[in-house]
Amino acid sequence: MIKIEKRNDVPMALYFFTPFIAIILTILGGGIIFYILGFNPIEALKFYFITPISNLYGLSELLLKATPLCLIAIGLSFCFKSNNWNIGAEGQLTFGAIVGGGVALLFYNQEGFYILPLVILAGAIGGMIFALIPAILKTYFNTNEILVSLMLVYVSKLLLDYLVVGPWSNPEGFNFPETRQFSDSSRMPLLFEGLRIHAGIFLALAAVMLSWFILYKTYLGFQIKVSGLSLKTAKYAGFKGKTMILVVFMISGACAGLAGVGEITGPIGQLHRMVSPDYGFTAIIVAFLGRLNPFGIIFASLVVALTYLGAETAQIFLQIPKYTGQVFQGMILFFLLASDYLLFFKVKILNLKKNELRN
Amino acid sequence: MATDLRISNISKIYPGCIANDNVSLQFKSGKIYALLGENGAGKSTLVKILSGVISPDNGEVLLNEKNLKLSSPLDAKKNKIGMVFQHFNLFETLSVFENLSIDATEDNKSLRLRINEILKKYNFSIDLDVPVLNLSAGQKQKVEIIRCLLRSPKVLIMDEPTSVLTEQETEELFISLKKFCDEGILIIYITHKLKEVLSLCDEVAVMRKGKVVSVSQTQNERVETLANKMVGQKLAKIKKKINISKNKDEIFKVKHLNFYSDDPFETNLVNLNFSVKKGECLGIAGISGNGQNELFQILSGEIITPDTSIIFRNKEIAKLNPKQRREYLMAFSPEDRISQAAVPELKIYENVALNNFKSSNFFEKGLVNEKKIKEHSKKILSDFSVNTDNVELKSQFLSGGNLQKLILGRELITAPELLICYNPTWGLDVGAINYIHETLIKINDQEKSTILISTDTEELLKLSDRIAVIYKGKLSKIMPSEEVTPEKLGVLMGGGSID
Repeated sequence: MIKIEKRNDVPMALYFFTPFIAIILTILGGGIIFYILGFNPIEALKFYFITPISNLYGLSELLLKATPLCLIAIGLSFCFKSNNWNIGAEGQLTFGAIVGGGVALLFYNQEGFYILPLVILAGAIGGMIFALIPAILKTYFNTNEILVSLMLVYVSKLLLDYLVVGPWSNPEGFNFPETRQFSDSSRMPLLFEGLRIHAGIFLALAAVMLSWFILYKTYLGFQIKVSGLSLKTAKYAGFKGKTMILVVFMISGACAGLAGVGEITGPIGQLHRMVSPDYGFTAIIVAFLGRLNPFGIIFASLVVALTYLGAETAQIFLQIPKYTGQVFQGMILFFLLASDYLLFFKVKILNLKKNELRN
Repeated sequence: MATDLRISNISKIYPGCIANDNVSLQFKSGKIYALLGENGAGKSTLVKILSGVISPDNGEVLLNEKNLKLSSPLDAKKNKIGMVFQHFNLFETLSVFENLSIDATEDNKSLRLRINEILKKYNFSIDLDVPVLNLSAGQKQKVEIIRCLLRSPKVLIMDEPTSVLTEQETEELFISLKKFCDEGILIIYITHKLKEVLSLCDEVAVMRKGKVVSVSQTQNERVETLANKMVGQKLAKIKKKINISKNKDEIFKVKHLNFYSDDPFETNLVNLNFSVKKGECLGIAGISGNGQNELFQILSGEIITPDTSIIFRNKEIAKLNPKQRREYLMAFSPEDRISQAAVPELKIYENVALNNFKSSNFFEKGLVNEKKIKEHSKKILSDFSVNTDNVELKSQFLSGGNLQKLILGRELITAPELLICYNPTWGLDVGAINYIHETLIKINDQEKSTILISTDTEELLKLSDRIAVIYKGKLSKIMPSEEVTPEKLGVLMGGGSID
């Protein structure tokens, strides 16, 4: 018979160390998969994890992909820390991109320093409004935010689809499902000539600093922490539960919206169907791998961004589909959850002979 | 056949604490034995060893000269040792019969026959086909006892059996236990209630800090002598002066308190009306599950009910949340001290910050003022003699007594006009209980009021000026405590009526 017992005191250091164990196990697991597929595992892993970042361009791509992941995960950490399960960041990202993109399209033939800030602001507000829907339904109608936020993802994706093939499609675009190119004033400034890394990374870094400050130094952060640990206590202390749910969803939605607007004003430069390769979902893994800690999230977003890049390189050099990236992301989450389980619980095997149970 | 149970030189050491230190005891059938001790004295460890839940580091258990190897609860069952734990191990949604048939070896028909025999023999009246959820605590306990009796036990161990029972149910239990004893079942009765030891048991073993400090005949003992043995020091007897002055101002007044819930695990409250005077302690008695939880949450503002009027210091506060009520100088100490009044994963000073006021300045302009919170916490720790001065300690490392002192300290250091507490001393040892009781009396002496919701009648009689009983969500009339006896309370708590 197997008995599961809760461990009472888990050392903090070990708690932050287990993500590394999960990453190592993921790499080992990946090696085994490559071996079964008939590749030399060492070489394949090298293509996956080393080659993509062995030059300046690769590093820039890594940061480019890490930026939205980090931004979204920071926002999600507010929700997750306070026991609000917002899994619709992908939808908030898309809606942010729609609103921000809409503003950018308004100014498609104009120039001006004020355009980009307007576009960014519009994107953040768009994400925020979209996140408010599950929050309001949860607070006033007791709906389950997991279902609502998830289903809204498809609503926003279909809306985007409709807009880019219909009313917003490029009149000179030969019916391709995409809008006009944004004007240069709506584009994120590039940091280096010839590389795609753009100023959006500063937004992500600012979000990290700001979230650290809010979570650890303010009354709001204290309330989030207490609510996450014990809703009963939060109620007893008299925290305004409903307001807090709305606030964390707004923060989370704004971050996702910023990520969306960062993509369309950065590398993409217009609206089309594929504004995000599921950054909003992958960021859930990033948030947990980073232990919902702002600085942990920076690290986690780099690791997970690498699985995106690695998948692309592996597709080119090994002819395996780039969806192996999702396999790796899945493995990270799997090993993280598994090692967390062993961290918080101990498994005891009791010596019982077979017939004793029946007795 | 006579049963002889011997425990010899049992030791069990946990990291940082010796739970059982060379314990030797002898029990013979035909007598009821009490095992008495404070929380943490090592009673539970000893019982767990006897029931096979844990194994000792040293020593042996002998039943009729036979060395028992108890490495699992199944071994205890096989050796005819039965246990009734304080918390029932029953499936609430299954029927009584289904619960009893789970680990039975015979077919349902003969099992039902045997159960009915037992019911008849001991005069238990329980419907075998209702879900356990509909039974009272006393009936649930009987189901547990029947489960043991079905295995014709030689030894029956009762762990704090009366903590959830009414006076009447307790009396019934004692009658049954005496019957079992006459039939040759050896009974070991674990408790920290002294009066029960004296009225029920023949012999008493007192444990303190893991050791057996005395074994004696109960006829040679009195409450005071046992208490001193248990605590190990002379206890100052506390008794509250009843507050007689009747024409003091009413500080707190509740009118038309109604609460309806669709949740079958919640109790509806029906038209409660009461008031509290300045410097008075209003006790609310009742068996747990009769609406105390809901009442506490409504009084604290965690639940807001429509159409209820709560006047506190001449202001209507029925619509305010707990934090706003605190600003009006109310304070609350809920029953669940471990996961509601405090968060175990938070540090002491963070737990202190849960109760913050505008004037406490813990959070200035939305920012955490850690220095201020820590200073304040240090003061609470020393003023309320909590056994640590480290405000960075996580509160999960505090013992029950120290945690309760911390919580009461946090609630009281702001000098509230009204403290509402719910079972403030459950699970605490005598020393801590005394401290809490003294503190509650002190509040009344300072002309501050308290509402004490408690399932412990002794505590209520000791501390209250007036007492009411809550039963199935209804409040009895409020009685001056000098007119109240434990028997009267018992009748009301069991749903009966007096006069």
